[in-house]
Amino acid sequence: MLLPAVILVTIFLLAPFLSSFRIALTNERLIPRPVPPRFVGLGNFQQILTDHDFWRALWNVARFTIMVLPVQCGFALAIALLLNSKLPFRNFFRGLFFLPAITSMVVVCVIWATLFQYPTGPFNQILGFLSFGMAEPIDWLGDPNWAMPSIVLLSAWQAYGFQMIVYLAGLQGIPETLYEAAELDGANRWQRFWNVTMPGLRQTHIFVLIITTIQAFKLFTQVNILTQGGPRGTTDTVVHYMFTAGFVDQRLGLASAVAILLFFIVLVVSIVQRFVVKDRS
Amino acid sequence: MSAISETRTPARTAAIGWDVGAIVKFVAVTVIALVVISPLFLLVVASLKPDRFQILADMGSFRAFWVSNPSLDNYRNVATFSGALPFGRYLLNSLVILFCTVLGGIFINSMAAFVLAWGRLPGRAIILTAFIALYIVPQESIVLPLLTIVNKAGLSDTFAAQILPWMASPLYIFLIYQFFIQIPRDVYDAATVDGASPFRIYWSVFLPISGPVLATVAILLGIETWNQYLWPLMVTNTDNARPISVGIASFFGHDSVYWNSAMAASVMMMAPVLIFYLAFQRWFVSSFISSAVKG
Repeated sequence: MLLPAVILVTIFLLAPFLSSFRIALTNERLIPRPVPPRFVGLGNFQQILTDHDFWRALWNVARFTIMVLPVQCGFALAIALLLNSKLPFRNFFRGLFFLPAITSMVVVCVIWATLFQYPTGPFNQILGFLSFGMAEPIDWLGDPNWAMPSIVLLSAWQAYGFQMIVYLAGLQGIPETLYEAAELDGANRWQRFWNVTMPGLRQTHIFVLIITTIQAFKLFTQVNILTQGGPRGTTDTVVHYMFTAGFVDQRLGLASAVAILLFFIVLVVSIVQRFVVKDRS
Repeated sequence: MSAISETRTPARTAAIGWDVGAIVKFVAVTVIALVVISPLFLLVVASLKPDRFQILADMGSFRAFWVSNPSLDNYRNVATFSGALPFGRYLLNSLVILFCTVLGGIFINSMAAFVLAWGRLPGRAIILTAFIALYIVPQESIVLPLLTIVNKAGLSDTFAAQILPWMASPLYIFLIYQFFIQIPRDVYDAATVDGASPFRIYWSVFLPISGPVLATVAILLGIETWNQYLWPLMVTNTDNARPISVGIASFFGHDSVYWNSAMAASVMMMAPVLIFYLAFQRWFVSSFISSAVKG
């Protein structure tokens, strides 16, 4: 009864994972050539780590993470706080706010591509309205300065629902008595938020931070569909770099080396999570 | 003025303050919700406009929220199997992949979890640890070697290539395992005394009481399967097994995007998820939470 799972996991997870370490040391191609692949040692890693484009992809992912964290988590926390208080139709609103989270990223791309439309899309209309027609319309996804922030915005919109329910669960874990005690001590709403709510959410913050970071490192779909890593490489990501190297350029060895680096990045982030969480409890 | 405010008792002020605050908050939440959900509303409205240039022209104004003469032409175009992009076919492919993956996944993962939780198997703990360790490997970092394996097995561009790799999953085995080990020992022992085989115990004792955790796995695995993009993008190269996500993405990358068809196809992709979501909303939310606390 255990066998089906063990067989499937071995063939489709363990085997490719282990073989990526072997492939990464060769110059293997995706579609095999008549010449057998050659062992190249750490050549692929050397090539990646000296490739300006790889560092740019890594930097883009870091930029994405730094931008998406406050936007997505801040909004998720704000909505969670609103939904956690006395509110008519609370469950209805929770269901409504969760809708983007179940929307497929591909569908999100279709919608947001029209919202970002240059020069007459809604975002440009709002921009024009707010600036009394002074601001020039922006080519959101085509301008090197704006492409990444635009990707950040649509990604945050798609994913905040998950953080929202995690925060809601976290908020419900804070004992009501703490708030009552704070109120007796004369703490106002603001003080209660900073001295009761925020410390009570410490674990939740760490968790949300780690999960969002790991997801950010896997950023691919929206970039692949909307910008193909452009303009001028400003939205190229680690997974997109890997996809281009391995699937488009067929350089399997090189791409496997990127995959291994990606695995170690995710591993380090996860270990940090364990460490921080254990440290607390 | 000051006399009036002095006559108010503190309790009364608090009561009024709460009422006004509650109304303000309710209005604020409603407005925020409308703004946040508006892109989805725009999608549905746009999908009813047959003229793709009209869709773009309307997007920049309040006409985006309204359709004067709704038409189902886009859906009709998109749903035909013979169109330039056969979305009826893609949708069907996606449903087949979804159904097989979720159904197979539930049984395979729960059987494995049952053995790991209750079986008398040497090395049980090692296998469990190995599963948990493998959980950390991101899908993204195995897809390329996996592609070579699938190609060698002659499975490229098939349903099997999109179903088999993702049915068994360490995360779901672990979720169900955690549920199974909470079931009291007596339940298992009582069934053993009755002479039931392990499979029989799994099938008629454990499965019937595992509704909640199996629903969680079904929802998470279902959403994950439905939204797969990177893998089917690489493993499909004809319409035979291509899922709807890759189909919709292929609208992009041309000089002019057929927004009318893209919108209708997007609604079609969203509809099944939405129907399930409306029917099982509570389950969805709690599923996502239980996927979060696995750490």
